[in-house]
Amino acid sequence: MRFPGTRALDSVTVDFRFDEVHGVIGENGAGKSTLMNVLSGSLAPTSGRVSIDGRELKLSSPRQALSCGIAYVSQEGSLVPGLSGAENILLGAEPKLARGVIDAAALHRRARELTTDWFPQVEVDLRQPVGSLPMADQKVIEIIRALRANMRLLILDEPTASLPSREKERLWDIIRSLPKRGIGVVLISHFLSEVKGLSDRITVLRDGQRVATLDASGVTEEQLVDLMLRRTGDAQQDSTVEPGNGVFGDTVLTAADWHVGNVVVSSFEIRAGEIVGLIGLTGAGHFEFARSLYTRSGVVRGRCEVCGRTIASRSARAMQRQGIAFIPDRRMENALIGEWDLRENLAMVHPEHAAMGRSGILKRRTEAIEADRIKKLLNVKASSHYQLLKNLSGGNKQKVAIGKWLYGARERYRLMIFVQPTEGVDVGAKLEIHAHMRRLAERGVAILIASSDLLEVEIVANRAIAFVDGRPVEEIPRERFSESAFISAISGSRQ
Amino acid sequence: MNTDAETTVASGDVRTGLIQKEWMQKYSTLLVLILMFVLFSLTVDRFLTAFNLLNIIQQISMLTIVGVGLTFGFAAKEIDLSVGFTVGLSAILVPLLLTMGVALPVALAAGLAAGVVVGVVNATLVTSVGVPSLIATLATGSIIYGINFLTTEGRAIYGGLPDAYLWMGQGRIAGIPALAFFMFACVLVAWFLMEKTVFGRYLYAVGGNLKAAELSGVNVKLFRAASLVACSLFAVIAGALLAARLGSGQPNAGERYLLDGLATVFIGMTMFRPGMATVKGTFCGALFIGIVNNGLNLIGMDTYIQSIVKGVIILIAVAIVSRTTKLKLL
Repeated sequence: MRFPGTRALDSVTVDFRFDEVHGVIGENGAGKSTLMNVLSGSLAPTSGRVSIDGRELKLSSPRQALSCGIAYVSQEGSLVPGLSGAENILLGAEPKLARGVIDAAALHRRARELTTDWFPQVEVDLRQPVGSLPMADQKVIEIIRALRANMRLLILDEPTASLPSREKERLWDIIRSLPKRGIGVVLISHFLSEVKGLSDRITVLRDGQRVATLDASGVTEEQLVDLMLRRTGDAQQDSTVEPGNGVFGDTVLTAADWHVGNVVVSSFEIRAGEIVGLIGLTGAGHFEFARSLYTRSGVVRGRCEVCGRTIASRSARAMQRQGIAFIPDRRMENALIGEWDLRENLAMVHPEHAAMGRSGILKRRTEAIEADRIKKLLNVKASSHYQLLKNLSGGNKQKVAIGKWLYGARERYRLMIFVQPTEGVDVGAKLEIHAHMRRLAERGVAILIASSDLLEVEIVANRAIAFVDGRPVEEIPRERFSESAFISAISGSRQ
Repeated sequence: MNTDAETTVASGDVRTGLIQKEWMQKYSTLLVLILMFVLFSLTVDRFLTAFNLLNIIQQISMLTIVGVGLTFGFAAKEIDLSVGFTVGLSAILVPLLLTMGVALPVALAAGLAAGVVVGVVNATLVTSVGVPSLIATLATGSIIYGINFLTTEGRAIYGGLPDAYLWMGQGRIAGIPALAFFMFACVLVAWFLMEKTVFGRYLYAVGGNLKAAELSGVNVKLFRAASLVACSLFAVIAGALLAARLGSGQPNAGERYLLDGLATVFIGMTMFRPGMATVKGTFCGALFIGIVNNGLNLIGMDTYIQSIVKGVIILIAVAIVSRTTKLKLL
């Protein structure tokens, strides 16, 4: 399958067996979802094929995949919350009394039979609306629904992501029992211990390629992380970015006793001119922490000081007023307006820059001049500042997402928080963005980067903090930076 | 190498295609409007006369004012379904106060104040309580409707209205209807606010991408609220003028302004910046409806057929907007 610019999956061959749980792991963007979409029929590959028992299948829709015996249970689930377990299990295949009249008794009997047949040890309430059931029960019901037809291969996408740990074990038992009855399971999860514990074999994907398929029993979690992340011989090694001299200004922001979701950070501080990288595997909590410092949403408790002043107000706006900028991930959803032109997007944070005095009346010329300045400063490639943002490339869009904080900022921002700063950005723009972060730091801006790109942190940061299971576990100073140091830090001490 | 060359040629063609497509998206409705005007001018006798053209302007003036208010709402992706009844509210409140002997400026100010109250109630429901504007304003609209009929017992308010007030709706300056001046004033003020000020920019930011606006430090609640207050405010202006034009306060006179007002915005959203509500777009939308109504009237078409024609036009406009942009309300 080709997406613009890159190949989401490049000549990947995997064999799944009907008597195994097969784990598939990889960081975001490694191609897991693409592979699963191909298998479940939602995406047609540009080339390649899917076969069962040596027979090639034509999978042009999820419905067709189902009839071939491949079922997909997504992370979010696809149950109808208001219907009961039994009704969900037999959705679309209800036993009927007469034309169009559902035989409720038979429906319930049949659902009960299916459940006890497949999982005699499991107790689930099939009469309650599924929306009111525990998450694990919902997953079980969804799996039973998938098994309703003649299933050969069950794809489970992050089945335990939203489950409390007690409920996870119930589901694990169920997953383990399936291969014994001839149903292959493909398990996608970013909980490595879970994948290792449940799977017979594990396939590691990275950048759209299959890196390895291994026996789960003969591999350590650290080796898996290494396979997932290591990019030996990456072409973007870059020496033009000079690391800072290690002498920084005053503390810009401190956070203490910070609880957001499952993430707990007892203390964090960042100084003027310093670039701090937060690293971790997906789900380790480094993204949530970085986001919560600005958005303040989901923060259960915690103290936050900006330049020594406690910030009580819990809104993004209050943080912005304190001189904190935020360049979020998924920029089209969180940072930019596709239907606006370049100039308007750049002026989003500080439109008042182009206003006459304090009147709030905009002067087009001033706006154009400032937009052009930012466009040049960040080398945004666009035909003019009237070009619609949606037509720009990923790298240029990201430059605009950064540029809107530089546009008309009389006093520059004290702290800029980046989440996945170069996600979907081409190599050239990536280098420019890194260089620009460095320039900003030299001018005294504190920069916080939460990234899944270890190389990026290695290149730009002065200090890295590794997150594991929602806790910062290790702080790595620049002198000790290396890919292997990062990898061992973020895979360390997982429960 | 060979493939590279081919791609370049292809992208060149694609680009010219894109520009043509973009141009068509922006101006096709305007083109239809002009064609229609020319068509009526050539085929309908009394269409292209100064008298008739001024008549069209007069006919669309209240509608334009309501549409302009709704444009503020749509810019922030809020919809106000109570505007029709809010028009009715001031169309009875202002004459009622005048017949009770209240001075004209005070009565007009009271009308505006009523608009602010309705707007603030709508805005509170939407931004603080969290009810989607579509539903909140449906409910408040029903409440206002009830109030309108309770206060008037369903009867019109007439007689004893001061001449200065009646002049606002019926008078002329150098042959041009006073209503036209009110309309152009509203259009100009709104256009200026939306296009030329920081206020307008934030309003569009909130409508363009709520999340991005919020994360950029924009006071999102304030601007969503402001957009709804603007809807009600322009509606009460239209209502006060409507009663002056009719020479009486009719409790149900404002109702048709909801659908027609929405139509002006929808038609407007197909032009200039497709998918975005703009003041000039809305004004063209009002002209569109005014010209269609007037033309069909002069031909002697039944008013019910006019209603059908209008419905079809709205459907076409909304279909164009929905297909070309990812417009989502609610």
